[in-house]
Amino acid sequence: MTTAELTEPTTRQSAARDIIQLPLGLLGFENVKQYVLTANPAEEPFMWFQMMDNSKRAFLVAPPSRLVPDYRPDISDDDASFLGITDPSDAVVLNIVTLRNGDRPTVNLRGPVVINRRTLVGKQVIPNNAAQYSLRHPLAAA
Amino acid sequence: MLILSRKPGESIVIDGRIVVKIVRLDGDMVKVGIEAAKEVPIHRQEVYDEIQRNNQEALTAGRPPLSRLFAKANARPHSKPDAVAAGR
Repeated sequence: MTTAELTEPTTRQSAARDIIQLPLGLLGFENVKQYVLTANPAEEPFMWFQMMDNSKRAFLVAPPSRLVPDYRPDISDDDASFLGITDPSDAVVLNIVTLRNGDRPTVNLRGPVVINRRTLVGKQVIPNNAAQYSLRHPLAAA
Repeated sequence: MLILSRKPGESIVIDGRIVVKIVRLDGDMVKVGIEAAKEVPIHRQEVYDEIQRNNQEALTAGRPPLSRLFAKANARPHSKPDAVAAGR
């Protein structure tokens, strides 16, 4: 799986899908360990992170570089080791977006999902510097 | 809830594989060290609670259309909250 396939959906016309393994699940959803990441060019930079449990439940996610350019999560050594990430370029960071009826969407900067782009194994991590970021960072509608 | 008395430097073993050590008392703070396999997630409770609650809120039933919320031509949201008013 290449970098381009995970992070640059605009280069394709059709949606790209990757199966991501989360051995520990997401916080509160520890039992769901497989997700499909779907990147549709029309929805770029947003992607869908959908549970592979037939429930069709999904999270809207996005790489923070497009939403919060100065975001610099400091991933702990333990988490990097768990994910087998030895170089920062191995890591794909996705942040979970919450759509709110009648209100601006927010993005969770405190608990990003980090994925090893080589193994497609991921984990929802709490960065060492999480306290300086918002759990509900408002997204500006364009 | 099981309640045990421990002194600084003493430990508790859980399930033969997790060691919780009382490292130091510092006023009303207790420094706790935890040894466990890296597959065992360990979180401060309030952090765990707020993130799992946010995950619950973020979960959608399917994949609703985004067109209403994010104009395709402007797929580059601005991070400054005050930039929104002009766009709406």
